Amino acid sequence: MDNNNRYKKKFPLRAIVAFVVILVLLTTISFILFGLYPVRREVKNISGYIESKPLNNDATLSPELRKLIDEIRSKEHYAAFLNTTLKHSKGDSIALFIDLRDSLAILSFKGVSLFESKISGIKINSGLKKLPHFFRDSLYSGPMEVNEEISSIEKFPVVVKKAPKDTIEANQASAPVLPVQYDVFLAFSFDNNMVIQIDQQEEDLIGTKQDYRRYWRQYSRWFRNKNLNALKSSSERGYIYHLAIELAREDARSIYRALPLKPAVVVRY
Amino acid sequence: MENRDQLLTPEPKRGSSGRVIVVAGMFIASVCLVIFLFINSATLKEIAFSFYSYRDPLGALAEKDSVQLTKQLNSVNKRITTLQKRIENLMPYGPYMVVNTTKNTFVLRTRKEIIVEGICSTGSYVLLDGGKGKQWMFKTPKGQFRILSKIVDPVWIKPDWAFVEESLPVPPRNHPDRYEYGTLGDYALSLGDGYLIHGTLYQRFLGLPVTHGCIRLGDDDLKAVYKNLDIGSRVYIY
Repeated sequence: MDNNNRYKKKFPLRAIVAFVVILVLLTTISFILFGLYPVRREVKNISGYIESKPLNNDATLSPELRKLIDEIRSKEHYAAFLNTTLKHSKGDSIALFIDLRDSLAILSFKGVSLFESKISGIKINSGLKKLPHFFRDSLYSGPMEVNEEISSIEKFPVVVKKAPKDTIEANQASAPVLPVQYDVFLAFSFDNNMVIQIDQQEEDLIGTKQDYRRYWRQYSRWFRNKNLNALKSSSERGYIYHLAIELAREDARSIYRALPLKPAVVVRY
Repeated sequence: MENRDQLLTPEPKRGSSGRVIVVAGMFIASVCLVIFLFINSATLKEIAFSFYSYRDPLGALAEKDSVQLTKQLNSVNKRITTLQKRIENLMPYGPYMVVNTTKNTFVLRTRKEIIVEGICSTGSYVLLDGGKGKQWMFKTPKGQFRILSKIVDPVWIKPDWAFVEESLPVPPRNHPDRYEYGTLGDYALSLGDGYLIHGTLYQRFLGLPVTHGCIRLGDDDLKAVYKNLDIGSRVYIY
């Protein structure tokens, strides 16, 4: 009996300590496996490319020269953005131009700006923020073709209506059938491991919470699969460059419905 | 008896089953933690990225002095101006119209200014199932169009779906029942394939997607569009 009491007294404390140690260990391992490892791999890839570029030491540059260089690079990027607009004008589809400098999302068709919407919020993840300018401007500004998309709304809000059987039914059904309006959340993924997310700026939902959750579930499933694939295969990149913008709900809806199925997107940083 | 009871339910056994429960609980909690961390791996990656940074090679720019850099800046600025002019030249010279089928709005404009903007009605996206494999999709086509013809006091030649929708017998082609006067307003501008920009008797539905594919405008807006757009003028629908 005495032994048993001693066991009862000791067990909880020992168990708690062991449990905390296990949790700490698991958190550390998870951080290494899910956080540090994919980031390290991505950084290694990019650093390898940067190493091949001639190094010019920033320390030797005066602040005025540095400012001038930054201005030139920014202008060069803008020139490239305009060049893309010009090139895309030869195509036959609407493209989305995201100008983060002027906070504008623009629908352009054959060089004509059809629609402009003010971007009210911009979120860029650390990977994209830290990318060297020349790398970001050449690989992550586009034109990029959307590979997969997830959306909380339908591209074509089709309503199926049966022809009325008689004139009485026809008269009853004469009122127009209006499409149900849902909240607008979109995510476009690209081949270069970039995701552009477009969220409605309105916090109040016009649709149901269920629809909202369905979208996020779909989005996190996609994200999970991507991470899982990266863990399974070393050729898959585990880091996703993420840009999120907020637009007015109806503007986001207009943009999504105007774009073709695999639209081109261009970003100006 | 007492001894027998003690033998049947020994104390250490009860302790070990409790231990199993605790260990199982710990295991489940640990698995949940790993799953939680995996789901939130984006946050972990954000934290991980704070340990890393890249050097930003300046390339040939760093080898230039301020005079050379200013020259290069001027040259980029010139290039930007040229590109902007070239893009501007892609826009139509005369007035053109842009229709947003999602918001059901339109803008009639020139390169420099908006002539008139307002609400319109576009395709309802209704798929009418007429039975016997006959279906009609009421959507406004998207893309770049040109005004092909301009009509005053247009007459609506009712297509088959207009009869099917009202559950009326479909008359033969050119039958008098197909001709309806005054429904399309004072003017109509043709975009081809039977799609028109026209007026409406149902002004209360303007701003809503209720048409069979045509673009309906209010009376004053239609007049402005008719007056400003010529044959060949561009209409962009998105």
